[in-house]
Amino acid sequence: MPDDLLARYNYAEFTKTTVLPWLRFDRSPPLGQRAPDFPLWHLGGPETRLREVWSASEYTIVEFGSFT
Amino acid sequence: MNALAREYAARGVGSIFLYTHEAHPGEHFPHLESMEQKARHAEALRDVLGVTRPILLDALDGACHRTYGTMPNMTWIFARSGIPVYKSDWTDARSVANAVAYFVEVRERRRGRERLVPFQVERLDYRTSDQEGFYAGLARSGPKAVTEFRAFNE
Repeated sequence: MPDDLLARYNYAEFTKTTVLPWLRFDRSPPLGQRAPDFPLWHLGGPETRLREVWSASEYTIVEFGSFT
Repeated sequence: MNALAREYAARGVGSIFLYTHEAHPGEHFPHLESMEQKARHAEALRDVLGVTRPILLDALDGACHRTYGTMPNMTWIFARSGIPVYKSDWTDARSVANAVAYFVEVRERRRGRERLVPFQVERLDYRTSDQEGFYAGLARSGPKAVTEFRAFNE
């Protein structure tokens, strides 16, 4: 995993230069087509996958965010 | 969003919070450098901000978050097949509730043997702009987060 990607994604300062290039909702996966799957981790628990999450219910709400 | 999750949990609708990166790093909640730190911040989200939904962590490099558009607080709804049926670049409980109610109704219509086909719709929703609450959130991260956000908007 490139260190510069980790540092750029986990930016230390909130500026136009560090933040704006990431905001690409317009390039996000389209509705109506199978979505990309990724590994995720339960808080204090084992690894899972996004597909395991969406497979568990007829519909699944996924809110993205953080403390800040 | 917690109340919405509780309301629909028994009606076949799951709900999670996916922890991404610190949008406004500050002295108390600085930028992430490890998964252990990410887990600690996620525990604060649960214990301080009261998120009662299951919290999952994205990879440290934000692989999932980046692919889905990297917005700081977006919401997606997935069908069991893995097809996204709703995506919003900002989380608003009223908007999500409206969408979930619609999809639950779609399920009932299908059960009633109604023949349904999907179509695309775009819509502009509206959320409350709570500046006071937003700045209180920045202050929880630390004075640096407040200063940087003010500078960002100058």
